[in-house]
Amino acid sequence: MDKATMELLARGAGLDKALAEFPEDVAAAATQAAGSTQKIKAPTDPRAEPWPPMRAGDGL
Amino acid sequence: MTDLHWMTVAAAARAIAARDLSPVELMAALLSRIERLDAKLNAFIRLDGEAAMAAARTAEAEAASGHLRGPLHGVPVGVKDIIDVAGLPTTGHSKILQDNMADADAVCVSKLRGAGAIVLGKLSTHEFAIGGPSFDLPWPPARNPWNTNHHPGGSSSGSGSGVAAGLFPMALGTDTGGSVRNPASCCGIVGLKPTYGLVSRRGVFPLSFTLDHVGPMTRTVADNALMLEALAGHDPADPGSAAVARARYSAEMERGVRGLRVGFVQHFHETDVPADPEVTAALGHVARTLQLEGAEIRDVHLPTLGEFAAVNRVILQSEAWAIHGPWLRDRPGDYGQLARRRLMAGAFFGAGDYVQAQRRRLEMIAAVENALRNVDVLLCASSMDPACRIDSPAEIERTYPRQARTPFNVTGHPALAMMAGISVGGLPLSVQFVGRNFAEATLFRVARAWERAAGTDKKHPAIL
Repeated sequence: MDKATMELLARGAGLDKALAEFPEDVAAAATQAAGSTQKIKAPTDPRAEPWPPMRAGDGL
Repeated sequence: MTDLHWMTVAAAARAIAARDLSPVELMAALLSRIERLDAKLNAFIRLDGEAAMAAARTAEAEAASGHLRGPLHGVPVGVKDIIDVAGLPTTGHSKILQDNMADADAVCVSKLRGAGAIVLGKLSTHEFAIGGPSFDLPWPPARNPWNTNHHPGGSSSGSGSGVAAGLFPMALGTDTGGSVRNPASCCGIVGLKPTYGLVSRRGVFPLSFTLDHVGPMTRTVADNALMLEALAGHDPADPGSAAVARARYSAEMERGVRGLRVGFVQHFHETDVPADPEVTAALGHVARTLQLEGAEIRDVHLPTLGEFAAVNRVILQSEAWAIHGPWLRDRPGDYGQLARRRLMAGAFFGAGDYVQAQRRRLEMIAAVENALRNVDVLLCASSMDPACRIDSPAEIERTYPRQARTPFNVTGHPALAMMAGISVGGLPLSVQFVGRNFAEATLFRVARAWERAAGTDKKHPAIL
C-alpha cells in the first residue's frame, strides 16, 4: 500500500491523531492488514456462505 | 506431604474435604510464596490477599461444619485481568481501563466461586489480550519461571507464569489466537481452549466476538478437567454460548489410548512453519509414545498455517477495531505500541475482506471436521520454538507467529496444549491435541495418557 492510500484510509477511519503522533505505527498497521488479506484464498463458489450464519432467535 | 505450592487442585480439594488441610494453611503458603517470588515474575497486576485470606477462613469454617460449596472448595485461583471480578478493576493491563471497576463477577468467575474456589487476584496479560510482551504499559510484563530472562507466552501471561511457578494451582485465561495455549506451551503447564461456546464469555472484555474463548490453565490434565467441569454450561445471555449439556470431562481420563486413532498434522511443523529441531523431535516422541500405548497414528493434512493465520488476523483485527476504534481515534497514546499497531490494522480492512475471511473460515471448519471423521483426535505442534528472551523485540517478533494454535480459534474445535519435553536450554517444549466439538473428555484422555507416560506433571521449574 502506498503512503498516500494509507493516509487516505487512515483519515477515513478517523485516525488523524494517530497519524500525527504515531505515523510509523499507522504505517505498520496498514502493512499488517495488507499482508493478511493477500494470503486468503477467497472461495471460488459464489454460494459459499460466511461463518457464523444468521440464526433467528437462537438462544436470545 | 507434597509442598503446598505444588499441590494439585484435585489433591488440595480432597485434603480440604477430608479436613486434612486447612484452606487458611494453603492460602498462607501461597501468599508467602507470592510475596517471595512475584517481584521477579510479575504474574499479578493486583493481588487481593486480604480478601482471599478472609474467604479462606470462611471456607475453613464451612469445611469444619461439613458444608462444602463444591469440588473446588477452598482452592485458590488467579484470574486474567480482562475478566471481571466484582469489586476489583478490570484493566486489560492498559492505561485505557486503569480505573475500570467491575460491578459483578464474570460468569466464569461466578461458576468457580460457586464450586468453592477462592479468587487470589488479577493477573498480567498482554494489553487487551493482544499487545505484548510490552514494557511501555502501567505494569511490567510477566516473566517465565523456567528462566525469568524469557517470556512466558501470552496473552494469558500471568496465568501461565503463576501456575507454573506454584503461586496458585489454577488460573483463568482467554484464547482468541492461542492465548491460553501459548503460555501453557511456554511455561510447561496444561492449557485448554474449550469448544467455542462451551464456557460463557459474559463479563470478559472482548477482543474478537467470534474467536474469543475462556479456558482453564492448570499443572495437570486432571485439574484441567476438574476446572472445566465447574466452568462449562449454557449461558442464555452470551450469544455465542452453546446449548449443550455439561459433561463429566474426567470420566474417560484414565482409560488410555488403546484403540484411538490419532491424526498427526506433520505439515504444520515440517513444511508450513519449520519448527526448531528440538520441537520436531519432541513431537515425534509424543506420537511414538502414544503408538506404544496402543493408539493408531495416521497422517492428516489441513489447510496451511499461513492461511489459517491470515483468516484469524482479518477476523480478529476487524472485530477488535469495532471495539477499540473510538479509543484509537481519541487516545492513541494511551495504548502501548504493540497493541496500537495490531489494533489499528483493523482500520485498513474493508467489509469485503472480513466477509471473505468468514467465508473461507467455513471451508476451514469443514476441512477439520472431515479430518476428525477419520480420527478421534489430532496431534500437532503448538509453539515451533521454546520461549525466547523477553528483552529481544526482534526475537519476539520472529517467534510469536511461529505457532499452530490459530487454526482452532478459526474452527472452534477444542484444543489443549501441554509440555512435550524440556529443551537443552532448560525451557519447556510443547504439543497440542485437538478434538471433535464438545469432545473434551476424549482430549483429556489422550493428554492424560501422554502425561502419565512422560511424567510431565512432575516437572516444575527450579525457581527458588
